[in-house]
Amino acid sequence: MGGIHIKNRWLPYVMIAPTVILICVFKIYPIIASVIQAFLSKDGIPTFDNYKFLFADKTFWNSLKVTLKFNIIIIPVQIVISFIMALLVNAKVKGIEGFRTALYLPFCVSLTVSTVIWQMLLNINNGVMNSFLSLFGVRPIGFLIDKKWALLSIILISSWRGCAYWMMFFLAGLKGIDRSVYESAKMDGSGFFSTLFRITIPLLKNTSLFVLVANTTANFLLFAPVQIATEGGPQGSTDLLMYEAYKAAFVYSNRQRQACIVTILLVIVIGVCVIQNKFMTEKEA
Amino acid sequence: MKYRKMVAFGLTAAMVAGMTITGSAEEKETVTLKWVSQGVGETGWEGITVPILEKFEEQTGIHVEAEFYAFNDLFEVIETKCASGNADFDVMSVDVTYVSKYGSSGYLEPLDGYFTDEEKAKWDDASYTAGVWDGTMYAAPENTSCQELFYNKTLLDKAGITLPENGPDNRLTYEQVADLAKQAQEALDPDGSQGIIGLDFQQVSRIYQMNMLANSMGGANISEDGYSLDGVVNTEPWIKAMTWYQGLVNDGIASRGYDADQLGDLFYSGKMVFMVGGTWTPSNMTCEDEVGCTYAPCFEGYEDQVATSTGSWYFGINAQSENKDVAAEFIKFFTLGEGSDMWLEINGDVPSRLDKQNEIAENPDANDTMKIAAYEAANTAYPRAVTPVFGEYSSVLDQAWEDVRNGADVEETLNYAVEQFDAAVAANK
Repeated sequence: MGGIHIKNRWLPYVMIAPTVILICVFKIYPIIASVIQAFLSKDGIPTFDNYKFLFADKTFWNSLKVTLKFNIIIIPVQIVISFIMALLVNAKVKGIEGFRTALYLPFCVSLTVSTVIWQMLLNINNGVMNSFLSLFGVRPIGFLIDKKWALLSIILISSWRGCAYWMMFFLAGLKGIDRSVYESAKMDGSGFFSTLFRITIPLLKNTSLFVLVANTTANFLLFAPVQIATEGGPQGSTDLLMYEAYKAAFVYSNRQRQACIVTILLVIVIGVCVIQNKFMTEKEA
Repeated sequence: MKYRKMVAFGLTAAMVAGMTITGSAEEKETVTLKWVSQGVGETGWEGITVPILEKFEEQTGIHVEAEFYAFNDLFEVIETKCASGNADFDVMSVDVTYVSKYGSSGYLEPLDGYFTDEEKAKWDDASYTAGVWDGTMYAAPENTSCQELFYNKTLLDKAGITLPENGPDNRLTYEQVADLAKQAQEALDPDGSQGIIGLDFQQVSRIYQMNMLANSMGGANISEDGYSLDGVVNTEPWIKAMTWYQGLVNDGIASRGYDADQLGDLFYSGKMVFMVGGTWTPSNMTCEDEVGCTYAPCFEGYEDQVATSTGSWYFGINAQSENKDVAAEFIKFFTLGEGSDMWLEINGDVPSRLDKQNEIAENPDANDTMKIAAYEAANTAYPRAVTPVFGEYSSVLDQAWEDVRNGADVEETLNYAVEQFDAAVAANK
């Protein structure tokens, strides 16, 4: 009963070649090209000037600060909410499939469309959110035009859709835990929280690690809601690095600046993911 | 054998020649120009330019395939296509502010070889000059533009407000208009539930229109070398103009939260009393309300410094195009020929052509909007910033206007704009 025996030793390589080629052309090559471009002048001469100009730019430092602040808030928020959502839809209740579908539905709406919808809902003049709040005597809030609220609104817009996506991974992880473990715990008198923290969360470690790394990457590279809803404003309060990179490339035509920002983002994302990976692995050991 | 070879050679030569001849004939017959522009939809340029393109095809046999994008998207499309040396389009609509940038970046083909001096003299000097960068003509003006004060007569009548007598030498002041707007709001919408806006700017938070406030107090747009805002925008005229505008928003007379794509529609649908806007405003009205127009206001104490925004769209040839001659033919048709006549008629823009400007001035039946426009274009039009780093300029100052609108400290915002712009253009100096 051995597995499938492949006579031609090259066949597996041939099978994965299209994927590898596509990844190299559309993922690896642009990354390498960007890293190299960051060290070249407009005339193609090697230089550190691009970084010198970037580091002397207050807008960049503000953008970096906003990006870190945004991620420090959104990553734990999305992970906790999506985990709670997964726990809820993992319950054995009649018609749970309907709830699962309802909670997953936001992810089926494109980020662009959902941003436009939220933009209308959060509008200061005629948005539903402000109309609702006015019932309680709350004055209109500039969710997307007030610097106190704008970043939180972007987090809300991204999380509304994002949590649905990450929920599915946690749900798959929860489904993978053997029921007998829960039954044993129950027989030993373990309560809900005890089971949650001593059984469920430890057994979801691999899933959590994946979600953490993938979520970090996705949020550091978030762009659409900012471009559509706030354009980095008000007063630079939502000016994420990806938006700065976009502006550098497509508004300022400054490919060098864009390459520097993208390279810095790449380093940050790799750094954060390595730390997360190390932290999660050490915890297990 | 020798004979067979000769026959084969002859036949091959004939086939190649035949294909070449056929190919050339077909190429001439089926040449298609590709034009990238802005204004999506039936009521936008996409819809209204159809008869003009059909007329051009009828006259020349050249089909123009036009691709329209939203206003802001066009700049990205051009940037992306041109930066990568894309030759898949021939003609582009160029916003006047981007002529210097595209010209200096090598995106546009110089037009001096395609337009004679006689043809160039057919445009007013300001329009022609705005298409020139560093002594080279890169773009031809489609039309120019001008700002006027439009008001909803129906709403003013309902509010029982009559406009004071005014004219080019006795303009309404911005302060007066703001007072009238406030009175109208109080009469028409005392609790604010109708969402009536008192006074606003059609292209809110866009430097094209907002800078005229600072210009009307004597402020300049950019340093002479086109690379600095220091000592230009962090100055009294800008601070006073922005502070006045912020007060207008804080008092609830001007709006907050609507963008430039929405604000015009609010006037067109009868939700705004006064609007500083372009000459196309009356033709865009969607409600039955009667619209009036008058000269652009001035600030109290600055009556001799009236400034109105100007400049509009231009045509340029993609430097990588393989159909440059035909592209130039199309541009001439649209800027000087029958296409231009049709365009001015359809869109109601202010002409860049001197003959058309004279026609308006001399025509006693010309409507007020166009007469005022002709006067403002000749007397108060204030040129936009000329800089090869217009993307940075526009991005920084658009945001500054929007931030001030949303309550940011004026001086802080302007100082930050100076820093942002300096840092953004440092690599270009």
